[in-house]
Amino acid sequence: MSLFGLADREWIFLATVVFTVTTILGSYSTLKLHRKAGRPYTLSLVSFGWILQTIGLYERGLQYGGCPLANRFELVQFLVWSAIALYIFVGPAFRVSLLGMFTSGFASILSILSLGFDSWDSPSREPIFGLSPWIEMHAALALFSYGVFGILALTSSMYLLQSRSLKQKKMGGLFPYMPSIFELTHINLRLLVLGFCILSSSLAIGSVYWTQDIESVNTLKLGATIAVWLAYGVLLFLRNRETLSYKQYSWACIIIFTIALFSLDAVDSSSTPVAGAASISISSTHL
Amino acid sequence: MSSGHHELLVVTVNHETVPMKERERYSLDEIQVEALYKALHDNSIIEESLILNTCNRFELYFKTNEARNGRSVVYETLSSFYGIPLVELEAHAKTRGGQDAIKHLIEVSAGLRSQITGEAEIFGQVKNAYSKCQQLGGAGALINRMVQKGFQAAKLIRHSTPIGQGQINISNVAVDLSLKIFGSLDRVSALVIGTGEISEKTAKALRSRGTHNFGIASHSLERAESVAQEWGGTPHAVGELDSYLNGYDILISSTNVEEPLLTKPLLERLHPARKNRPLFLVDLGLPRNVESACQDLDNVYLYNLDDLAKIAQDNLSDRQATIHTSEKIASQKSDAIWQMLEKRGLVSSQ
Repeated sequence: MSLFGLADREWIFLATVVFTVTTILGSYSTLKLHRKAGRPYTLSLVSFGWILQTIGLYERGLQYGGCPLANRFELVQFLVWSAIALYIFVGPAFRVSLLGMFTSGFASILSILSLGFDSWDSPSREPIFGLSPWIEMHAALALFSYGVFGILALTSSMYLLQSRSLKQKKMGGLFPYMPSIFELTHINLRLLVLGFCILSSSLAIGSVYWTQDIESVNTLKLGATIAVWLAYGVLLFLRNRETLSYKQYSWACIIIFTIALFSLDAVDSSSTPVAGAASISISSTHL
Repeated sequence: MSSGHHELLVVTVNHETVPMKERERYSLDEIQVEALYKALHDNSIIEESLILNTCNRFELYFKTNEARNGRSVVYETLSSFYGIPLVELEAHAKTRGGQDAIKHLIEVSAGLRSQITGEAEIFGQVKNAYSKCQQLGGAGALINRMVQKGFQAAKLIRHSTPIGQGQINISNVAVDLSLKIFGSLDRVSALVIGTGEISEKTAKALRSRGTHNFGIASHSLERAESVAQEWGGTPHAVGELDSYLNGYDILISSTNVEEPLLTKPLLERLHPARKNRPLFLVDLGLPRNVESACQDLDNVYLYNLDDLAKIAQDNLSDRQATIHTSEKIASQKSDAIWQMLEKRGLVSSQ
């Protein structure tokens, strides 16, 4: 199946090229030309890439008749899509300099990895949500929260970079163009609250179905999901009590997100077709 | 270069041509500027003129309809206006003509010719001079075009090169760092210990960027009260530092002490109550007022006089490193403006 003559992976490949170009241009402008790429330019480029990615995911979704979340490639792509959507629609409110460059860098790395490993896009072309849109909603919200946590990991990295530059009195590189550490700590808290609320909603929806059919979710997936939710919950609790220093908090955000990314494997391995769901035969298109 | 073939000329006396002692003789007040415009208007061969008069430079841009005599007539007018012998004036001033005059205007407006490379104030001064020139009827089609296009070129230079980036005086470097830590300075409180010149300048710079809440600490409370009345702020005695330090986000210290006022153990004791609020320590004292180990604490950023001076110096070097690129842009733009003026018949070919 193809839209406008291009297959789903081809659209996603084009989106990855746009994200990569945005990152390269942003880095060149900042580090070499010593001026920040204007927010409208970055936002336009990232939005263009996001539209291309949306077309690719939509095309993939048409094949299932639902959200394309059936294998590791699709999970990563949906996570990237969520992070970029957050940057486009909520990012301007944060007014964080260089967030676009960091987000496009994040999107390019994950996208290149997901396109590079053919095995991630395993040809298990089965609808995974059965006939329930709520389960689909649960999965989409969970992945969207991962997108939020991805942005949180980025702003945490920005905090660590900025704090380190200030401590070591290194005023070059990205330092002059980055936001203040005070702004970054506030944005980090808002992102943590947002991500945690979305993940909690997702788990609340999922738990309704799980209690009806406990066997439907394997232990690994359940354990991994609860562990990630708990980790962010504890982090939020400690952040509100100011128990952790901002440096420890930022490191924790990066580490938990990295672990959460690996936990997607557990989610992916548990994605077996729901009994009774219609089987769709799809020809897989690879670049 | 010979300026005899040009209709557009600039006569400049600035820090590059004469020392300050001589430059002072060319300084004009508002009334004198008006008088000079009048003297120039009375001269029939001067069609348009623009006077730029700042503490560091006197410049006269003018259009003459007599390319051969224009320069000497203007020099004679200036000589008689200032009461400076012509020979002396010719030794102090430099003349640039045609496209070079436009390039000069762009370079001056962009801060490339300023004593402190890249300073932004000059752009406003040129704008004011142009506005005055328009009010007094000095500007015609040539000056208007040249200045408006010249401003665009100067803005381009300032936006596309780092010529104006980074602060180059210690007080402003400290304020810039505060902004990098706190974002906005509106809700930030600053404590000033000691009443040295740099402390005062830094406090003023912070105030100008929005800081309202100041504390003034001195070894004697009486002294603190007297300075607090003058500068505005809450007076404190240095001896009770631990009782009020947590109420502040920035500490600027430049007092005479044998032992550091602020030590790591003291900060460690106060730190939990700050609840992760950053603390920016600006140690301008010699010997140092703040123990360097304080820097090891999370959320504490310590800068001493050497650190700030080094940043200022690095920023200045960065600006100077971009002069060549900026001059290239000025050259390209002046070329384009000159061609545009030629096409419109406002100047004759060089």
